[in-house]
Amino acid sequence: MKVSMSWLGDFVDIDVPVQELADKLVGAGFEVEEIIDKSAEIRNVVLGKIAKMTHHPDADKLWICSVDIGRDEPVQIVTGAQNLKEGDLVPAALDDSYLPGGVHIKTGKLRGVESCGMLCSGKELGLTESDYEGAEVYGILVMNKETAPLGTDINEVLGNDDVILDVGVTANRSDCNSVLGIAREVAAVLKKPLRQPEIGFECVADNVEDKISVQVDAPDLCPRYMAAAVSDVKIVPSDETIAKRLKSVGLRPINSIVDITNYVLIEIGQPMHAFDASKLEGGRIVVRRARNGEKIVALDNKEYALDDSMVAICDVAKPCAIGGVMGGANSCIDGDTKDIVFESAKFMRDNIRRTSRKLNLRSDSSFRYERGIDTDSQRLGLMRALTLIYKFGYGKIARGVADVFADPQPRKKVSVPVVRIADILGITVPEEDMLSILGGLGMSPEIKDGVLTVDPPLFRDDIENANDIAEELIRMYGYDHIEDKLIGGKEQTLGGKSEEQKVEDVLKDICVGAGYSETLTYSFTGEKGFDILGFAPDAPERNCVRLLNPLGEDTSVMRTTLVYSALSALASNALKNVREAKLFEVAAVYIPKALPLTELPEERQKLVIAAYGEGYDYYSLKSVVDKICYKFGISPVFRRSNAPYLHKGRGADMYVGKFSFGSLGEVHPDVAAAMDVKQRMYVAEIDVASLIRYRSRGYKYVETGKYPPIERDIAVVVDESVEAARILDCAAKAGGKALRSSRIFDIYRSEALGKGKKSVAVKLEFRMPDRTLTDAEAQSATEAVLAKLQKDLGAVLR
Amino acid sequence: MKEKIDSLISAAKADVSACATVADIAAVKVRYLGKSGELTALLRGMKDVPADKKPEIGRYVNEARDVITALTGEKQKELEAAQTEARMLAESVDVTYSAHEGSLGSLHPCTLVKNEIVDIFTSLGFKVARGPEIELDFFNFQALNIPKDHPARDMQDTFYIGNDILLRTHTSPVQARTMMNEKPPIAIVVPGKVYRPDDDATHSPMFQQIEGLVVDKHITLCDLKGTLTLFARELFDKNTKTRFRPSYFPFTEPSVEVDVTCSQCHGKGCRLCHGTGWIEVLGAGVVNPKVLENCGIDPSEYSGYAFGMGIERITMIKYGIPDMRILFENDARFLKSFR
Repeated sequence: MKVSMSWLGDFVDIDVPVQELADKLVGAGFEVEEIIDKSAEIRNVVLGKIAKMTHHPDADKLWICSVDIGRDEPVQIVTGAQNLKEGDLVPAALDDSYLPGGVHIKTGKLRGVESCGMLCSGKELGLTESDYEGAEVYGILVMNKETAPLGTDINEVLGNDDVILDVGVTANRSDCNSVLGIAREVAAVLKKPLRQPEIGFECVADNVEDKISVQVDAPDLCPRYMAAAVSDVKIVPSDETIAKRLKSVGLRPINSIVDITNYVLIEIGQPMHAFDASKLEGGRIVVRRARNGEKIVALDNKEYALDDSMVAICDVAKPCAIGGVMGGANSCIDGDTKDIVFESAKFMRDNIRRTSRKLNLRSDSSFRYERGIDTDSQRLGLMRALTLIYKFGYGKIARGVADVFADPQPRKKVSVPVVRIADILGITVPEEDMLSILGGLGMSPEIKDGVLTVDPPLFRDDIENANDIAEELIRMYGYDHIEDKLIGGKEQTLGGKSEEQKVEDVLKDICVGAGYSETLTYSFTGEKGFDILGFAPDAPERNCVRLLNPLGEDTSVMRTTLVYSALSALASNALKNVREAKLFEVAAVYIPKALPLTELPEERQKLVIAAYGEGYDYYSLKSVVDKICYKFGISPVFRRSNAPYLHKGRGADMYVGKFSFGSLGEVHPDVAAAMDVKQRMYVAEIDVASLIRYRSRGYKYVETGKYPPIERDIAVVVDESVEAARILDCAAKAGGKALRSSRIFDIYRSEALGKGKKSVAVKLEFRMPDRTLTDAEAQSATEAVLAKLQKDLGAVLR
Repeated sequence: MKEKIDSLISAAKADVSACATVADIAAVKVRYLGKSGELTALLRGMKDVPADKKPEIGRYVNEARDVITALTGEKQKELEAAQTEARMLAESVDVTYSAHEGSLGSLHPCTLVKNEIVDIFTSLGFKVARGPEIELDFFNFQALNIPKDHPARDMQDTFYIGNDILLRTHTSPVQARTMMNEKPPIAIVVPGKVYRPDDDATHSPMFQQIEGLVVDKHITLCDLKGTLTLFARELFDKNTKTRFRPSYFPFTEPSVEVDVTCSQCHGKGCRLCHGTGWIEVLGAGVVNPKVLENCGIDPSEYSGYAFGMGIERITMIKYGIPDMRILFENDARFLKSFR
């Protein structure tokens, strides 16, 4: 909300510097986003008149101008602009003048001719076309309509002699979307009296009933509708005082009547509309729900199709305005308008918000209605508009007003025990301060028998309970009174993380320890990712939650796997020629139970690990996965994976029993190619909840054994297709109870062994917990293992 | 005899000093002290010594043996030390070279900050809570005193999935869910991802918040200030001050924005704080009694406070990161710099 200091000055005497006022407003809950003081940027620039123009003797394109600035002697200024003629009024920056952006103008010579300043363009003065007509013309700003004496400071000519505050108004303070509203707060923080808006006009003999009648068929959507009639209106450019104020807050003056509706909107906060009375058929305004499909062309010259949730302001024949949002083109003011009807109404907040969104049409009116208008301001707005009509002689005002008021709301008193306030704030505000603060806010406070009663004005319908009153008190009393205490009253609670969070921390520690860096990727992705990963059309991964209003195709669905996000992160590094990347992330995937959603989807936490780099291979990846399984005491079965995004020969799924809880492997060459990555990429995805479910818990003391172990190394030749897990499985099954561990320590291939064969060396460790094992026992167990290997896997001892 | 012994000692001295290796000294030892060594041979000659001289000569011979034993022993130690020394020198490696590459990985800077914040609050007795990111309109808005079509909805643009299902715009729905399921005293801290359709240097469509909620008897604005001041001193530095400015959130009343003294200039004014000396880091307030009521907690008995902050924003302040998008680029080199 932009307000000017001079406009505020109509309602309250401000005797502090603008910065101090701004600080006080911030302290009271109104953020001052900007203090705009254009006059501070422009100095020593005056209105001048080109008395004489002559060509520069040495430059075709330069003009030597003799500029009359109302002094005895004209000043000589050289300009390169070609849009001037003698007699034009122009802004003249004199010697030692300043322009916006800190530009400093001094007397100098242009091609040997003295120039005692500079003639300015609109742009050089920081103006746009909406600030001043012709401001964006290429060349010097021509100001021939100006009537101010020559030599007048240009700030005064442009109306820059005012300072503008851009005040942030929070959603609960709809009453402050107006100059009057801000002025009320200013009066309260400065402890000054508030002057009410000036009201006063005379009416002609005509009665309003003879001009217009109002019928409200939808009082639930329009609880109050007021109208007044003005005849013989003058449609002219507005008086300077009105035009200047509108410009100062960024509104472009249009004509006398439209400007008054805007002036009242800004000043009082009450949206107003003016109809051309001759265009309202039947002399009647009917406020009703629109009919489904009913069409209207609004003032923006676009056609809108309405429905029965919206309010239409109609005459006897047709809709003439979209209630609370925008007037219709069929009833608008134009140059020939003679008689007008002013509308000043209250429409419902929620309804206007819905209408405005449905039609995708916003206006200054809908903005204010959406935030809420009280039922007092219709009369004030209308009276103010009529006062301005009268003051500037823009028309003849009919006697009386039409006022259809469905349900006048009484003011609601709020009573709370005084101690309740201290219970919220934690400090005691002295009662006399309470009374003066709340009194200053117009709430007529009373304290009786320890009970504080306030009677908030209608425009403060946000005051409903003790907390609301406490907030009013503390924002005026000052938040610096609030002391630091440390939950004195609170019962002791036990802090800490949940099991799942602790598990995630453990996973992160393992990954970091193994050299991986944590990423942060978006939870949404594009369906293109599913195609790149090669998921079949009916793959469950494609069953995903879609956003109705995504920012783009790439962020339109909630991911069902972290793999694509992780590979994208790898790809972006590869694209930047980063030599190696080892990344991980713990994040949710979103699995809908049914589509469209009938209940919230399942959010499953997953761990994804992804890497590429020289020397990195499947086993590099598997070693991290193995570490994680080891930590959780899980011994998964690794089976060749069918995941479409994994290399057919280098991918595995991890099983506990029949349940697969993760997969890992090299990325399918087609996927890498589709992502423009030349390096081999590796990725693993593990379900976190499964790690918790299958974890073996509770460590117990196990004697490490005082009896010595016996180790036996065996080497067997097997087919290439025989997997390590099967060899170790045989060992475990045949090794007997003395076998403590078995591990493969070498795999060897050679021509002598033959193609398709490999020699696998296994170290077996035997030990008994309660006695010394004999060589003979170890030997017979080793032989049992060999026999099993031979029988099951066709292994031959080397 | 004595002369013979003296000359034997001299000869041994000469031999010992001529030794260069452990093997040499071993040979010398054998030559003089061994079973068929020279000293042993001398002892054998004792039978020819007259009886009255025997004790004296005997003592003399014993002394000679002690001398030679000491001499060779010393030399042996010396040579053994030299031998070990030489071996180590021969085995020396380039101590500056790193043969096994591969350093530790790293946590994302936002995780570092999140962990710090969570640790501060858990040590103050806050439990870490969690809730769904795909959330019902009811928990995200209505329970928090933001009815449908309320202007406060403009404060938080929303990604919708259905009429009543959306991506949560803040972590506050977890407040409502917790209050509906647990009895006071409640003290929770809620880190999590949230979503709003904004994308520029200071906004990301997905970002992380951390939220706190305390509900018990007699919880006041002063308790909130005390907790947050303590928190800010732990997170930034011990001289940090906090400042409350009035603001508006539908779910708290009174509502405040919380500024902390700028961690870079300590309140003097710099670029980070735009010369004000203060940085806005938090929104907070006393839980609106309507919210307590919506969640089944009697506002006449209980009160509470709540606060929330953006983790990315604090990360940017703490590490001097100029653009939020950098946090989501996942450049491996950037990530690795946060040890």
